[in-house]
This record gives sequence, structure tokens and C-alpha cells, in this order.
Amino acid sequence: MAETKVLTEFYHLPEYQTLAGYKAKGGYETLPKALKMQPQAIIDEVKASGLRGRGGAGFPTGMKWGFLPKNGEPRYLLCNADEGEPGTFKDRMMMERAPHQLIEGMIISAFAVGSHKGYIYVRGEYVFPIECLNKAIKEAYDAGLLGKNILGSGFDFDLDVYRGAGAYICGEETGMISSLEGLKGQPKLKPPFPAVQGYLRKPTIVNNVETLAAVTYIVKDGAQTYRKHGTEKSAGTKLFSVSGNVAKPGNYEVPLGYPLLDLINKECGGMKPGRKLKAIIPGGSSAPVLTAEECAKANLDYESLAGLGTMLGSGAVIVMDDSQCMVDMLGVLTHFYAHESCGQCTPCREGTGWLNKILHSILEGRGRLQDIDLLVKVADNMKGKTICALSDAAALPVLSFVTKFRDEFEFYVREGRSKVKGTTYAEMHH
Amino acid sequence: MPKCTINGKEVEVKEGSSIIEAMQVSGDRIAHYCWHPGLSVAGVCRLCVVEIEGNPRVQIACNTMVTEGMKINNTSEKVKDTVKWGLDFHLINHPLDCPICDQAGECGLQDQYMEYGKYDPEMAEAKVKKHKVVDLGPTVVLDSERCILCSRCVRFTEEVSKTNELGLFNRGDRTEIGTHDGMPLDNKYSLNTVDICPVGALTSKDFRFRQRVWYLKDGDSVCNGCSTGCNIKVYYNKEGLFRIKPVYNEQVNGHWMCDSGRNAYKFVNRDARLLKGVARGVEMAPGAAAKNANEVLKNTAGDAIALVLTAQYTLEEYEAIIKTFVEEFKTKKVFFWINNKETFDSFDGLLSRGDKNPNTKGLLKVMEKHGITATWNDLSAGLANGSIKTVVVAGPENQVVFPEYNERLKELSKAQNLIWMQSGKNEALSALTGNVWIIPMKTFVEKDGTFINYSGLEQKIKKVTTVVSEALTLTEAALLLAGKNLAMPMTAPFMPTNQRPDQVELEHRKKNEFVFRRGSL
Repeated sequence: MAETKVLTEFYHLPEYQTLAGYKAKGGYETLPKALKMQPQAIIDEVKASGLRGRGGAGFPTGMKWGFLPKNGEPRYLLCNADEGEPGTFKDRMMMERAPHQLIEGMIISAFAVGSHKGYIYVRGEYVFPIECLNKAIKEAYDAGLLGKNILGSGFDFDLDVYRGAGAYICGEETGMISSLEGLKGQPKLKPPFPAVQGYLRKPTIVNNVETLAAVTYIVKDGAQTYRKHGTEKSAGTKLFSVSGNVAKPGNYEVPLGYPLLDLINKECGGMKPGRKLKAIIPGGSSAPVLTAEECAKANLDYESLAGLGTMLGSGAVIVMDDSQCMVDMLGVLTHFYAHESCGQCTPCREGTGWLNKILHSILEGRGRLQDIDLLVKVADNMKGKTICALSDAAALPVLSFVTKFRDEFEFYVREGRSKVKGTTYAEMHH
Repeated sequence: MPKCTINGKEVEVKEGSSIIEAMQVSGDRIAHYCWHPGLSVAGVCRLCVVEIEGNPRVQIACNTMVTEGMKINNTSEKVKDTVKWGLDFHLINHPLDCPICDQAGECGLQDQYMEYGKYDPEMAEAKVKKHKVVDLGPTVVLDSERCILCSRCVRFTEEVSKTNELGLFNRGDRTEIGTHDGMPLDNKYSLNTVDICPVGALTSKDFRFRQRVWYLKDGDSVCNGCSTGCNIKVYYNKEGLFRIKPVYNEQVNGHWMCDSGRNAYKFVNRDARLLKGVARGVEMAPGAAAKNANEVLKNTAGDAIALVLTAQYTLEEYEAIIKTFVEEFKTKKVFFWINNKETFDSFDGLLSRGDKNPNTKGLLKVMEKHGITATWNDLSAGLANGSIKTVVVAGPENQVVFPEYNERLKELSKAQNLIWMQSGKNEALSALTGNVWIIPMKTFVEKDGTFINYSGLEQKIKKVTTVVSEALTLTEAALLLAGKNLAMPMTAPFMPTNQRPDQVELEHRKKNEFVFRRGSL
């Protein structure tokens, strides 16, 4: 088994960014077929494919579409391209190299769910992907692929790119909706769920870039063909963005269920010369870390990783070798989450800041042994107690790092320096 | 009507009730800050957690609806531990300045920590410093460090006043409440944000540092600022009144009241009051002045007497005085002094009405009962042609809402005899000479009675306190004007402030009661 390029087959071709280049490789051939289908048939096909949301939560896409009310109320299709989780950069590649692939997927999805207006919400820092998308959208409008009466089908769909002002939590679907509405990017209470009351209080579907792009392939080849890849509960292929101490970091498309170490060793060229694998965060920085021993048992699918107490998340695989200080690494993560907490729910607002302060007390040589247990207690009381999952995202790495690498934390507290690097925080960073 | 079980008790609640509402019905206590029955659900303080049978995680009670047969518990160790930690999260960056905090004594954080807190705090890190004494606008001051970011005030400006001045700025534990750029918190209902702030973050400029709340008593009344008749609580002690807050009444004002209504305490206090009666230039007790006026009324009975009434007195008082004039003095020349004519019928869509009197309907009802049809033009004509010789006026308690006061005073003082009853001082009135009687009256917090609001709703008021004990109600004045006696002797001279047992001496006014009683250290 090796890389299986379903979505990324033509990403190496520069012309694939353009309408002509995309069409030359069969692009927009699925759209006329989809527009002749019954919308419910498309939803059924997506359900049958077993496609799960590729943004991180892994919720079944067809089921999410099925939650829309059947009353014909106006509804919106939002593409979540915020991609703010540390280590995640898969959607960026798709937007830069295959923007029409996303647009075609969105038109088909909009037709299926009955939406006539869509937005691609992109994180503000993604300047080049935004340029690529805008260019592609203009091409699509000029070619009658967007706007009124698409390809003479009678179906209208308008699409815009929205550049977010930059906050991690705008990648959470209700936070994204708040931001799109012009409000501070803060998640909203659920229920009501966006499918019932979302953007502008209208029914709204929010899907990730990769999810929407996959819809085209499901409609084109059929659910069963898509299901040939992956496992029973995790169907299809998935883009993994691999970063950290590997020889060849980058984006790789493999079928779900692919062994984690095969991804590292076969696709990414293994660890850097002379280094040994120490740990991997398999699904973006919010996922619990796996030790090297656990990595050997891990397959890249939802159920295998859940069995190991972690998650597939967005597919951002962060690899750490034996030179990595886990206390320092956790310090970076807690700082990130303390910075990005929206400030709405108390356990998250205060807890993320508290975790960060404790971690930095330890890193700066002021730690107490009881601080290690305190980290666990604080994280435990943040988990599952807030509106959105940011609190969990901050707590889970803390719990897994402290539990699995406790000796490094205890050494740091006792000695005031890193067990791995042998240096103090100041020496490490200045 | 779904039935559920809360802590072992079966409760039936209205369809669509949340668990926290159900707990209000069942009488079970539950920690909470951000939930407020008059605002949308924010679900951010995460304190109102409960366990629901069949659900592995604790849930928030404010955003979870009751369903038939639901089994709810908030007394388990899991819930208690979550609440304890929730309170610790609230406190880790909260300053421990309770001794100087204006909210001490009525602080939700203090109260709930006493009940549910974790008495073994583990925060050893430095607290986040935020802005202090932030001037939000003409009425409210913010202390950001004390703010627990419940967002009640923000939601109030979004949902109730619809003025949107407030917002949450910044992220994480640097989040602060503030006003949007260049926009002060300046709306007719701004002080409600202070009422709903569960801690001492938002304080009223008018009230802050003037009294510790535990030195105040309170009593229920009805606001006399306009014809809405908001239900209120009046806070007072022997030094006088200090503030007014709304009391929930679904039929009348919900949870809120306007800022101008809150100022009603100011004209009640002794500094603003008429204390001495006057009869033809001679100072005397109020009762004595009223009795003194009987002579002139007796001599000008009939159509030569006119009674002018403002709509600021109680129904019972109107009954008494109109009856006295119709039956004793044989006149139906009773006139309704309408203030703010141009805006009398206006309404701001929330609570405040253009009719700035608490009892217009009550006055009109009594006038109608006695078949009174006289108009102000009749009065003007009578004064001009000299047929009206004696005018008796029940002037406004709240003079602020009578901008044409001086003009009317000038017109009415054309009468040969002018008998003026009101509670507050007025320079132009005091400057009148000749056949003028001035009779100090009691205010709405010093008497019992009934107000009828704009919608016809009758609301009883009860005496809350006495500020000027010698002052009269309109009922008492009516008896004395008719030459009758009250049970209490009315011949006693005016008692100076410093001889009255229930008044604090002037030089001690600025100090609180505790200091006054125990003396200086």
C-alpha cells in the first residue's frame, strides 16, 4: 500500500489551477451529471459513501446534510477553509493547486442541499490561496459555472470568498458563522445546530475544503468506488499534512486505515538522519500524543486512533524525534491555546491561561512538583465543560504529555532544565 | 406540561422550560452567573451544571430543555466538584478587593463561593491585570479586573436597550468588557447593567462609595417617574434615600426600569424638601399652616375657590381633597395641571412614557366620578376676570418633569389667595409674598395609597420610611384645610432637624450609620 491519489492526482501540474487545465483533466465533467440528478439522490450517494467530515470532527457528511429542514427556507453552504490548527496545512494545498476542484464540489453540494449562496471562509493569513480562489471563481462565473442558471440547469449558485480576521476558533463552525456575520469570532451554543439555525439564523451547512472536494469524486464514480478505499467505518482517502522531525514533511494522500509508521517511513522518508522517533501527535495539535510504541500500533483511521485514546482530527501529523523536549513542546501548545481562547466560557478563558502560566513557571525554573498534578487537575476540569472544543483541545495535549512523559516534567521541576536538551528555557530559546 | 424529577422530587413545568427554570419552580438552588431570566441564554459561566440520567457528561441547565421523564440532579459529587472548580476559574484572576468593592454585601461571587466554593485554592501564579476605573459613560464606571465576563451587560445593550454600546474585547484571559470605539454607555436604561452585574465590575456613579449596602434597609414601592408605574425597591436609612432599583413585575416593567426613574429618590431627601409651612409670611409647622388657611377658604367658598391638581398624588388623596372641595367648599372648579403636553402620549417602546406622572388615570377617574368638567381655560378666565379669588394647588412632587412650573406659578399667583402644597423646595415659590400659604407635603415613599398606571392597572404603595415627619399627605391637608383636626396636634412649632430623634445630624451625613453610632475611633 502506498499513496493513493484520488484528490491530489494532478496537483503537480501548474495548469491544473486554471479552468482550462482543470477541464483538460476531466474537471467539471461531473457537474452536468449531478445537476441532472435528484438532490436527494446525491445526498443518498454521499451517505452511502461513508464520507466523514475532514475538518477534524469526522461527522458523517450525508447525515449532516440530512439535518436540514425540508421547508424550502433559504439556506447557506459554507466552506470551512480557516485551517488554523498548528500542524495543519492540507487545505491550503488544495486551494492553491486545485481551486476548481473545490468550486465544483461546492456547486454539486449546494445543489444537493438546495443552497443558492455559498462562502469560502479562509483564514486571513492565507493570502495566496485567497488569490487563487478568487481567480478561479471569476473564471467559473465567466464560464457560466457559477451564478444564474448554471449550465442551463435552472440552478443558481453564487460563491464568494470571505477573508477571516484571524482567530483559531473561527475554524469552529459556529465561531466561523459569527465571524462571517461580522461579529467577534465566538462559538455559539448548540442547539440550535447550524443545519437548523446558522448563518443569519438560516439553515446552514458547514463543510471542510477536503470534504467538499471529495463530493465530486463520490458523485462521479459512485459511493461504492469511493468505499473501495479506507476501512468500513473510515471510508475513502485522506490528506495528511506531516510536519516535524521527518525527512520529507508535506501533504500526503493515503487511504484511511494506512499504518501511521508507513506514512512516516515510506512516504515521508523516515526520521531525520541519526534520529529516533519519540512521539507523534496524529491529528493536529489538539489530539493526544502517542508514544513511539503506540505509533507502531496505530492506523490512520478514526476507529484505530480512538482505540489508542487519540484522534484523527484534521490529519495533521506532528512528528517528534528524540531531540524534542516534551515540556518545551507543551509550553508552545499551551501558549497557543491561551492566546486563541475566545474568552467566552470561563473554564477555557481562565483555564488555558492558567495552564500556560503553570507550564511557563516550570520552564522558567520556578515550578513545584505539585504543579504537575495541578496541570492534570486543571485540564481535567476544562475538558468537556465549554461551548466548543477549544477547551478540550487545550486540555487533551496537557493530559497526554504529562501522563506519558511525566519523567521529563519531574526532571524539569527538580533541575530547572530540560532532561532532553540539558539546557534551561532561556538557553533553549535565546 | 412535561414532568421531570429534580433531586428526587417530581416537578411539572411549562412546555419549553429549561432545566434552570424548572429548578426555580422546584425551589432547588443552583449556582449561576450568566443566566438571567430577562436575557438570552449565553451558557458561558458554566456553573449551572447538572447531571442528567443517561448522559455521561454534566450539562448546563440554562441551555438544556426539560423533556418528559428527565431525571436531573445537581447534588452529586461530580456536579459539586465541577461547580467548585468553575468558581475557582472565576476567581483566579479576580482581585480580592472585597473590603473596598462597592458590591460587597450583595456580590454573587461572594455569595456563591460561600455556598459552593472550593476552599482550597491552588492558584499560585500572578493574576492578570486589567483596567480599573474605566469611565464607560455618564452613569456607569467599570472595574475590568472584577468582571467575570458573564456578558449580561453586553446582552442587555443588545437585546433590551438595543443600543449596542458594550462588547467583549480581546481574547482568552485578557478579555474585557468595554464600549465600542467612541461610543459611551449612554442610554435611558444604562443603570440596569449595574443591577444585573453579579459582581462589582459595573458600578453606578451616583451610588458608588456613598453607603455600604448592609447599612441600608429597603422597601417596595412604585416609581412615580412616569405613568408606567415600574415596581421598585427603595434603599434608605436614617440619612435618607440612596438608590432605587427595579423589582420584577411581569405585567408592568419586567426586570427593568429607566435611569430617570432612579433619580426619584433625590427629591425625597431632606435637602430637597420643604420643611416649614408658611402662612402669609409666617413660618410654622406644616399642619398649622394648613389649618391657618381654613379661614380664607371658609370666606371664599363656592365658585371663588379653585383647586389645581397635578397627577402625582394617590387615588385616596384625590378622593379626599376633591370630596372636601365639592362638599365642604361647594365648588367644582377643579383643574388638572397637565405637564409636558406635547410629549404626554409618547412612548419609547420599552418602559418610559411621555406622561411623567404616576397617577393621571387615578386623578381623571376621581374627577369624572365627581362630574368635574372644568378646563384650564376656565381657570385662566376666572383669574383674569377676578371671579376666582382663592387658588389651592397640589403641586408636583417631582418638579423636574414640570418644566413650565414657574410660568404656571406666575399665572396662579394672580389669585388674591394662593395656597400651595408640595413636597419639594422651589425658589420662586418661596419668594412669593402676600396672601400665600405654603404647605409641605409627604412624598410617595412616606405614605400608603394607590396609583393607577397608563394601562389602568391599580398598584398599591405602602409607606417605606419617613423623611420629613411633619409633612402632610393630601388627605391630611384636606381635613385641615376644611377646619377639621387630625389625631395628632398640629399646633406644635416646626422641629429643627437636630432635635428630631430619627434624623442624623447634618455634620454626620457624610459618614455611615455605623460610624455615627459608635463615634470616631
